[in-house]
Amino acid sequence: MKFSVSSSELLKYLQVVGGAIASNPVLPIMEDFLFTISDNQLTIAATDLETSITTSIEVMADSDGMVAIPAKILLETLKALPEQPITFNINDENFGIEITSAFGKYRLAGENGQDFPRIPEPDTVDTVTVAASTIGQGITKTLFATSNDELRPAMTGVYFQIDFGKIIMVATDAHKLVKYTFSDVSSEVSTSFIVPKKALNLLKNALPGGGEVKMSFNKSNAFFSFENTNLVCRLIDSRYPDYNAVIPVDNPNILSVSRTDFQNSLKRIAIYANKTTNQVILNINDGSLTISAQDLDFSNEATEQLACTYDGDQLDIGFNAKFLIEMLGVLESDEVKMELATASRAGILLPVDEVDGEEILMLVMPVMLSN
Amino acid sequence: MYTGRKIIHIDMDAFYASVEQRDDPRLQGRPVAVGGSGNRGVVASASYEARRYGVRSAMPSLTAQRMCPDLIFVKSRFDVYREVSGQIRDIFHRFTDLVEPLSLDEAYLDVTDNKIDMPSATIIAEKIRSLILEETALTASAGVSFNKFLAKIASDINKPNGIKVITPGEALPFLEKLPIGKFHGIGKVTARKMNDMSIFTGADLKKWTEIDLVRRFGKVGRHYFRIVRADDYREVNPNRIRKSIGAERTYKEDLTEITAMKEKLTYLAGVVHAYMAKADNYGRTVTIKIKSSDFKIITRSRSFQQEVRQLDDLVQITHDLLENNQEEIDRVRLLGVSISNLMREHDGLGIQLEFDF
Repeated sequence: MKFSVSSSELLKYLQVVGGAIASNPVLPIMEDFLFTISDNQLTIAATDLETSITTSIEVMADSDGMVAIPAKILLETLKALPEQPITFNINDENFGIEITSAFGKYRLAGENGQDFPRIPEPDTVDTVTVAASTIGQGITKTLFATSNDELRPAMTGVYFQIDFGKIIMVATDAHKLVKYTFSDVSSEVSTSFIVPKKALNLLKNALPGGGEVKMSFNKSNAFFSFENTNLVCRLIDSRYPDYNAVIPVDNPNILSVSRTDFQNSLKRIAIYANKTTNQVILNINDGSLTISAQDLDFSNEATEQLACTYDGDQLDIGFNAKFLIEMLGVLESDEVKMELATASRAGILLPVDEVDGEEILMLVMPVMLSN
Repeated sequence: MYTGRKIIHIDMDAFYASVEQRDDPRLQGRPVAVGGSGNRGVVASASYEARRYGVRSAMPSLTAQRMCPDLIFVKSRFDVYREVSGQIRDIFHRFTDLVEPLSLDEAYLDVTDNKIDMPSATIIAEKIRSLILEETALTASAGVSFNKFLAKIASDINKPNGIKVITPGEALPFLEKLPIGKFHGIGKVTARKMNDMSIFTGADLKKWTEIDLVRRFGKVGRHYFRIVRADDYREVNPNRIRKSIGAERTYKEDLTEITAMKEKLTYLAGVVHAYMAKADNYGRTVTIKIKSSDFKIITRSRSFQQEVRQLDDLVQITHDLLENNQEEIDRVRLLGVSISNLMREHDGLGIQLEFDF
């Protein structure tokens, strides 16, 4: 089997697909890309058994066939080559691979493509179609809030609730929570599932700038298809926490402040905060927000004051600055609103200007200050 | 040997007992022990009158009572000790902010640079002692030298109500003459082991190479090698954070009965409890350590939501830990009790709250 392809074009696709490869896979063949050629179409696949991606590009091929090619060495070779046509020549007997560039020849050992793990195909599934940009936004705005706690697997993924005309995406690590809702969706179904963090990260990197994404799902897998790419992932089989129950409904103290001023101030103050807790104290009065932090271990201390609008009782409340900075970072509104109750109850963070067709609500638990 | 620093170690004399004698004239001139007098009680502090009978801190109260039948037991009043300790610390800070408190009643001070521009550490130490007497009516002893190790040894030499200076010129001859058991950090067990190696004084210790000491004693051997040469570069750290408080004992004869082990744990819990009270620092995690006759070590621990403050609770927890692991225990050579997750470790740090899912 022999085929030719543009080196940079191939690299572009390999880099997307390569994200699925685990760093220490159970089977050595999972360190490879699976190349399948059929009718001048090259399909590239990679998997870690949980998440798999396939994508296809046009090539010039003399015959059909398949081979597994070690990912690392191939990627390094392509990165080191300037753009040019390259030719792959595969020995169908022993799966030896010879790559020819304008500079010379490179040989590496491949493996039999038949030994590559099977990638699940969509079977009995429900399907929803969404704009690629919308799902991309949804991932950016939720993914950061997921947990790394393997003991609570549900929270290591993003919860999708598909409810006829709208999709709700929720992420939380028990300290902060994001609920992102978008409504320009055509769907005939109502269902929910948890998509692992890794798959969504891959999806984010693979998504095209425009166009649509077809989301399909059955009991155990989710499928995302766009252009020539398919991403399949196993869903997290766990019950998602009842997030609605922790969203306060009547936080009486309302703070409005410029998003970028607030975020920049927090970034400076956080430098002086204790590195384990990143705790900062918001001292909120009528018309002024004082942000301060101290690290007793190093005698570091910082204070800043911001203008704000505040309707409520004077309040001192502690937060992890990192959480607030991340949360403010995914909002777009010039001004943001915090709805607070007491120093030990969850605070709500909202944009003041909503984007059409989407709704975002964030929650954050305070740091309980000692003394 | 680096001699460029001026370090003072201040140690209050029989602190709790002295406070009690100060506040209750009836106790003055009489043998007093602060601590519980019951079966589980441990002496936290003994007045000098009581020490003459051999009463020491960390001694079971029953033993103390036997040694000194007239001994008067007084319940501890930690709020008062804490208050006095604060007064003393305020005095230290008039001279330097490099103050490292070791407990309520002792501290290291680095006065190399000080707030009154006084080049003599000895004069500063005397000023501190007289200010303490004037403002608290209590006496303190001071050790003055060029590192922490020597300052600490020195404060013990002219105790009570005394001061000892070890100058750079005196340090090495002083350490050579010092009996090995007087080295801070060399306990009874190590001292015995050293005696078996014909090490009785600093001079004997000095004959050993670093490698041989490490071979015999492990990592701490390097420390022994250094201190006998007056090498101690540890800084006076005003923010030192203690991670755990513990006590352990090696027994001459292996323990085989659970009841005997429980008795020992009761005692160790008492010692640890007294340390906690002294440091005014309680913890949430209780650990017992068991070394069997074949030198296998197991540790078992349990953590709680709140600090363990009551001695009875601590005793019960150590007993439970022992009972729950009975099948792994046969002949016991050493027992230890320690407490970690100390509240001071988290001083000033808030707690990240979680959603109530």
